[in-house]
Amino acid sequence: MTAPEKPAALPGEQTSGGLSAKGLSAGTIGLIGAVVIGISCIAPAYTFTAAVGPTASVVGAQIPAIVLVGFIPMLLVAFGYRELNNRMPDAGTSFTWATRAFGPWIGWMAGWGLVVATILVLSNLAGVAVDFLFLLISQITGNESIADLASNTFINITVCLLFMLGATWISYRDMQTTQKLQYVLVTFQVIVLVFFAVAAIVQAVSGNGFDYQPFDLSWFNPFAVSSFSAFAAGLSLSIFIFWGWDVTLTMNEETKDPEKTPGRAATLTVITIVSLYLLLAVAMIMFAGVGTGELGLGNEDIQENVFFHLSGPILGPLAFLVSLAVLTSSASSLQSTFVGPARTLLSMGHYGALPPAFAKVSPRFFTPGYATIVSAIVASAFYAVMRVVSENTLWDTILTLGMMICFYYGITAFACVWYFRKQWFDSVRNVFFTFLFPLVGGVILAVLFFTTLIDSMDPAYGSGAEVGGIGIVFILGMVIIVVGIVVMIWQSIKRPAFFKGETLGMDAPASTRRLKEAAR
Amino acid sequence: MSGHVLVGYTATKTGRDAVAFGARLAAATESTLDVAIILPADSRSVITPPDAGYDRHLREQAQKWIAAAIDKIPADVVAHAHVYASESFAEGLVALAAQLGSTVIVVGAADGASRGHHRLGSTTTALLHSSDVPVVLVPGGARKIAPETGVTRLTVAIGTRPGADALIAATERLSRSTGAPVRLLSLLPVDAPATADTAAIRIARSTEAEEVLTAAQAELPAGLDATVVVASGESIEDAVSHLDWQPGEVVLVGSSRLAQPRRLFLGSTAAKMLHEITVPVIVVPRTTRPESTEETPR
Repeated sequence: MTAPEKPAALPGEQTSGGLSAKGLSAGTIGLIGAVVIGISCIAPAYTFTAAVGPTASVVGAQIPAIVLVGFIPMLLVAFGYRELNNRMPDAGTSFTWATRAFGPWIGWMAGWGLVVATILVLSNLAGVAVDFLFLLISQITGNESIADLASNTFINITVCLLFMLGATWISYRDMQTTQKLQYVLVTFQVIVLVFFAVAAIVQAVSGNGFDYQPFDLSWFNPFAVSSFSAFAAGLSLSIFIFWGWDVTLTMNEETKDPEKTPGRAATLTVITIVSLYLLLAVAMIMFAGVGTGELGLGNEDIQENVFFHLSGPILGPLAFLVSLAVLTSSASSLQSTFVGPARTLLSMGHYGALPPAFAKVSPRFFTPGYATIVSAIVASAFYAVMRVVSENTLWDTILTLGMMICFYYGITAFACVWYFRKQWFDSVRNVFFTFLFPLVGGVILAVLFFTTLIDSMDPAYGSGAEVGGIGIVFILGMVIIVVGIVVMIWQSIKRPAFFKGETLGMDAPASTRRLKEAAR
Repeated sequence: MSGHVLVGYTATKTGRDAVAFGARLAAATESTLDVAIILPADSRSVITPPDAGYDRHLREQAQKWIAAAIDKIPADVVAHAHVYASESFAEGLVALAAQLGSTVIVVGAADGASRGHHRLGSTTTALLHSSDVPVVLVPGGARKIAPETGVTRLTVAIGTRPGADALIAATERLSRSTGAPVRLLSLLPVDAPATADTAAIRIARSTEAEEVLTAAQAELPAGLDATVVVASGESIEDAVSHLDWQPGEVVLVGSSRLAQPRRLFLGSTAAKMLHEITVPVIVVPRTTRPESTEETPR
């Protein structure tokens, strides 16, 4: 078993007589295809409804500012991500790269962070999907009591588990819709969101808003946020709304024109997403304000799922369109999200960081079958337990999720900086892409991680749920990290080879400049 | 005859059945064996992001699976491994068969097929719709038949309608290369309404079946050793269930593709026969020449 390295990346070609490998890795994804995958991975309808409430409650009306600023660390880290992916394409991504840069222990924790973050988002996605399913049914049938069924703990958990079961089935069998249908769904999602935002602005301006706020440029000023803590919390949330965007940058060999397509696709995707978020944020604030009134974005009762509560007042009879958009967005996002933890777990199993069963590939569907099922079971169990413990599951998982993304993205950014340490000054390009950008991105994420971790000890943080006077977000975050460390130590006793660096060693590619000088 | 036997492999029990029979057929016809795994192509992903690292892992895994499968077949069969990416299993196999100049494509039953039973999965059905070379359907449990069994007899199911030139030609080629004798089979199901005089129909149909068989026998090239059997019963399934099968037997049936455009490649009679046949079945297209695809099937 060899460590991943680009030059040896095509063993299939050597052993299959050249001919067979021809059908492989021939780039087939065009610009539009890459943008569509990017948007459906981000799932703007879902992320925005889940994140705008918590963001409003910490930063008030400065949501647009936070959306803009939040993109910066994401972009910086994504550059590092792209460098690592070009150098060592591997299904384990953060896990493999951090192991190569910092050794097995940190690598293991990075993998753990990635897996846990995606499992958290899976349970959150399914939870949001449940809310919108009931809402959609009640909107179509005109029976309002049906929407309330979503808050019945037993019904909620049952339906959520059914959703997870369905998503697992689809992911396990790698069922894909047709390209056309996916294009239609993504376009539909974007159009509905724009329509929703425009309708909200029109309603607000014509005096039908819940708490009309005239448009104000200060919403775009990040320095108007009340405190650094609020700023940090807002940022970690806005990282979540861009999460998934990096896939467009890393689709390289798969695209028709690897030189241009990924960059263009990433730019197009991010322009679409940022404009959409800004428009929505402005529209929401204009219509509902950020207060804690009935429909205010700061109201705890509506925060975890803002569209759920606002679509009716804004769109009236057409509100079902929003429910449909969020439902389809969550559904395709469930599938693309499943791929993340499953592939990382597969890679961890492959290199002996976890039991070998995780490395099993389904012979019929070519998916990481075992890892997919384990992820689904953990996500379902997590959701069920959280739902019973706290009514505000969705909100708190989003905050914890933001923290975990900062954790593993931060490690990944530093891994990029450290891995390429001998090549930093090979070229001006390298100075920026392997050193400065990921370093700054990593530092921002590290600051965010520790600030939110410390702040979340306050029982009033997030939804206000607490255990023994300590905020539940802190407890969740710590439990996740401590459990990770315990499992890691257990695995290091059972499977020492990986932890001795025998299966995946540390490395730092030598400077190409020195090589050239030596050759002279 | 030195052709190419292409096996569409999956690392499952039924996949191993297909490789086992593919090897047996290749040995009997002195052909080379190509064992192929068809991976999904990136362009298939419209929701999940493609990942070069994962693709590489899949290719390595596929190579290992094929190597393990080839390890189990007799050493005197020359086998090549192929990992090919395509939109679908069927499309990939047909394209690969064209590239390799394969003479047949061998596939296993759908998962869950019990020993000695055929089971058509959706991928095999798609393959039957699209293939222009004969497709061999291997029943479950074929891997348990000893490789030295070889191919001992060819049973050709002749329909009650004439026009089986391609089928007869394929049988002749296979018989010459394997040296196996030919058994011509005509089915005589009695599925007339209860009010009809079944005995009368039976006699009428029986005469008809024998005429077809006689005609087919007459068409057979000289020197080909052929016996004739008429199977009758309450239904096609019933008729087939009374037949005896040798362990090294292979059944050939004709496709109904050109006769019935946009219908299942496998005719309804052949599909019914599959329920009862316990040995591999070769489905032969109406014409095996690739040019035939140019003809409009209307």
